[in-house]
Amino acid sequence: MTRPPVPEPTDRRQGSEPPEEEELIMFLERDQLVSDRFKPVPRAELGRATNLALWALRLFVLVVSFMVIYTFIVQLN
Amino acid sequence: MPPLETGELALEPVGIGLTHEDADRSRDRSRVFEARHGGRRWTLLWLLVGPGILAMLGENDGPSMISYAETGATYGLGFFVPFIIVTFAMAMVCQEMAMRVGAVTHRGYGELVLQRYGKVWGWFSAGDLAFTNLVTLIAEFVAIRVGLSYFHVGAGFAALLGVVLVLFTMSGGRYWRWERIVLGLALFNGLFLVAAILVKPQLGSVAHAFTFTPFPGGSFNTLLLLLASTIGATVTPWMIFFQQGASADKGMTPADISHGRWDTVVGGLMAAVFGLGALIVGAALLTHNGSNINGLAGAGFPAAIRRVSGGPAATIFALGLIEAGAVAVLTISASTAYAAGECIGVSRSFNSPLREAWIFHAANLGVALVAATIILIPGAPLLSIALNANVLATVLLPVALIFMVMLANDRGLMGSWVNRRSTNVIGIAIIAFISVCGAAYGIDSFLRTVHLISG
Repeated sequence: MTRPPVPEPTDRRQGSEPPEEEELIMFLERDQLVSDRFKPVPRAELGRATNLALWALRLFVLVVSFMVIYTFIVQLN
Repeated sequence: MPPLETGELALEPVGIGLTHEDADRSRDRSRVFEARHGGRRWTLLWLLVGPGILAMLGENDGPSMISYAETGATYGLGFFVPFIIVTFAMAMVCQEMAMRVGAVTHRGYGELVLQRYGKVWGWFSAGDLAFTNLVTLIAEFVAIRVGLSYFHVGAGFAALLGVVLVLFTMSGGRYWRWERIVLGLALFNGLFLVAAILVKPQLGSVAHAFTFTPFPGGSFNTLLLLLASTIGATVTPWMIFFQQGASADKGMTPADISHGRWDTVVGGLMAAVFGLGALIVGAALLTHNGSNINGLAGAGFPAAIRRVSGGPAATIFALGLIEAGAVAVLTISASTAYAAGECIGVSRSFNSPLREAWIFHAANLGVALVAATIILIPGAPLLSIALNANVLATVLLPVALIFMVMLANDRGLMGSWVNRRSTNVIGIAIIAFISVCGAAYGIDSFLRTVHLISG
């Protein structure tokens, strides 16, 4: 599957900007613009305790999901 | 314009250039700006409500309303009247965080988890959501079918109705149009309150239920299932994805957070009252062998209500089921589309035209189409799929909530809008409670299945 590109500004916006759109853009915060929303935020720096807790969460998810899915399959049979 | 108070990560300067999505959102924001600066408070409230009410009333979906009615028919009003209110209070806390993070960062839940906490958790959240949404959508179509069957209309029409509604709401190419149509439909969730009035409940017994008595009887496993399914009927991952994504799509900003809170609280109160309506309707069957009407198999619910409380109450209840299923089809499909767009990293807005956001629009329509097709398969174990999906969703819910609390405490993203200490205490208590209920039910059911315990 090919990713569609980040939407480009419409042709009307390139070059001189019509007054109506100049007026419109003032109603958006800078980080509300599509061009800014596509900029990724940096990865969070997590402490050792948080990382440990997230590993425990992975374990919890794996174990409990297995139990629920196993129960479901047995019920189906 | 109000000063920006977001975290520094969201404030890098950008080149200016309007896309269709920007232009449509700007127009919506210009109306908000004019209402705010013109002192038109009610207009401002009207413009800013939407995501909160839709998330809350969307979760008062077909399976939830059948579940409430079934609980009322089996156990009466005691315990569950206050417990449903408590679960909606829990939902309000979680959804307020989702709205606030969306308004401050202008980004959806899926993309923030993916980018801040890594691909494993990002794709896990999206995968969990996609699976549980698909299965929940199947249950929504079943609920529409149950409602329509009261009027002698078949499953084919139920499938067609849901898909046509999705197509109709997305056809305008505007978030505002989508939101207002779904909001208009969602208000008909009040039909459950009308049905409750028509069954003429004894107000004394409703008031007595607020004492949390009588405590439901039955086995430990049954009690856990009731708690887990009631929680699963009020707090879900799709609501978090939806409200955060919709708040960003609507263009909400930190200046709108107080209105977003009203939107969430009003939505929660409406959903709680209408949910109690379904419980009260079901309780009318308590002394009439209502306990024989089980879960989604309870296609005879409206017919049973007609025998006990008359035709009008039954007709209103059946119409309510159709509405509840239809609105949930729209909101849950939308949450799937937001998650798909966010995690793949493509345009995700109802304001974007099809050619710019075909993945978003395809996910919105596609998931509804797949669910509609599945309900037409003869002999598919729909009841078992729906019940187990709800349990799995409840079991995995703590994951979504933990990342929600982490995002809402992320000072780099949220700046001064991070959680207050009291919100964190309540949020952690909610996560602990839901984790214990979900895990206890999952473990207890598993141990019974492998015959390590009996009962």
